Amino acid sequence: MGILTMLAMKKSPLLLLGLFVLVSCLPENNENVIGVKFDGTGYKPIYASADEIAKIEFTAAKPLTEPGKIYVSDPYLFINEMGKGIHIINNADPKNPENLSFISITGNYDMAAKDKWLYADNLSNLLVFDISDPKTPKLVKTIANAIPVNNYPPYQNIYFECVESKKGLVIGWEKVTMSEKPRCYR
Amino acid sequence: MCYYSLQKQSMLDLSNINGIMKRLAPLFFLGLAIIGLVIILTSCDGGNDSALNPQTGTGGSMARFAITGNTLYIVSKQSLEVYNISDGASPVKALTKNIGLGIETIFPFKDNLFIGASDGMYIFDNAKPTDPVQISKFTHIQSCDPVVVQGKYAYVTLRSGVVCRAGNTLSSLDVIDITDPSKPFLINTQAMDSPYGLSASGNRLFVCEGDKGFRIMDISNPAVPIYKSYFHDLPSYDVISRGKHLIITGKKGLFQYEYDDADNLELLSKIPVL
Repeated sequence: MGILTMLAMKKSPLLLLGLFVLVSCLPENNENVIGVKFDGTGYKPIYASADEIAKIEFTAAKPLTEPGKIYVSDPYLFINEMGKGIHIINNADPKNPENLSFISITGNYDMAAKDKWLYADNLSNLLVFDISDPKTPKLVKTIANAIPVNNYPPYQNIYFECVESKKGLVIGWEKVTMSEKPRCYR
Repeated sequence: MCYYSLQKQSMLDLSNINGIMKRLAPLFFLGLAIIGLVIILTSCDGGNDSALNPQTGTGGSMARFAITGNTLYIVSKQSLEVYNISDGASPVKALTKNIGLGIETIFPFKDNLFIGASDGMYIFDNAKPTDPVQISKFTHIQSCDPVVVQGKYAYVTLRSGVVCRAGNTLSSLDVIDITDPSKPFLINTQAMDSPYGLSASGNRLFVCEGDKGFRIMDISNPAVPIYKSYFHDLPSYDVISRGKHLIITGKKGLFQYEYDDADNLELLSKIPVL
């Protein structure tokens, strides 16, 4: 191994890299390629069309279902609904917060605000809302492809169905049972 | 295998963007100079200093978005995206910094940006807000790791588990001395259960422990957090603390508390999950 490595280093760094790749891919056994055994489950992409993703809806206040991150910009409090959008709360009196409205945004997890502007992610798009009237926010700008996104699930040591771009854009992942091991792993 | 090839592809795309950005840089700085001039010229109109102290919000430690002054920072899985928001309605891309893999969170503090990644914490100098420069990286084991900073210390939670890293390694709270941001070093580490967001306020450090609850640490000695109390009936994911006021989200909804010196939590209000 030592001699081989030295030889490879002399020849070319690429060879060395190749050697590493080869070594790292050596299966420990037939079932266990990279370290985690396939347990019959994996992640499957949920696809949507670009039009579906771009559809932003403004609705009356909605109850929380799966609250995520929070952002404070007095007197407002923004609560992310994981992957779904943003609740706008008037928090001038923390003893009596008032749920004002909901912005439905596909693939939304993050937001930030300054003055009357609210910034939010919509998968790879960056959105700007005018929240002068937080009961009726307005979408004023969409910047496409502002945020690089990955075509793999936000988990590690798992198997997943490889993404096929012709099926659309990936808006999420669902864990499903799979009869055979998918080709993609991370 | 698929993951690695995808990774390579996206890196190539980014390097292209970098190339384009470099060519556009002179134009951009010219634009910046004009914007700066406009701000200086218009700042006297209203007789206030709102251009210097805009109404900018605060996020939690889990955030991927952060605003300081007229700059919006966004971290993607592998890059730092910088936008000039002098015109709030129309962000202008200043640059993309390709950082590494597994970028999770961003926390601005004074003239630095603290970026949590799955293999460490990056510190950027953002004295020039639209051109942050990496000055150091504190490397740690693979995990999920939001970060907050107070004074001379960065508090980082490392969460293990299937989502973050394999194996049965422990989750932890690490304290990193950042007196010299170019030379961060670990000064304390202790076990946690399943930490998500965290927040520091005065002599208290709050740690969201996911489904396990909500933990309060005493940081009267900021280098050595001491366990104070643990609310197991309060599942928590993200927290913002301001003064004695706590805003917490979790599986059960949004909870706001006021706490006293004895760490009693008084419930102000809740918006429950329905």
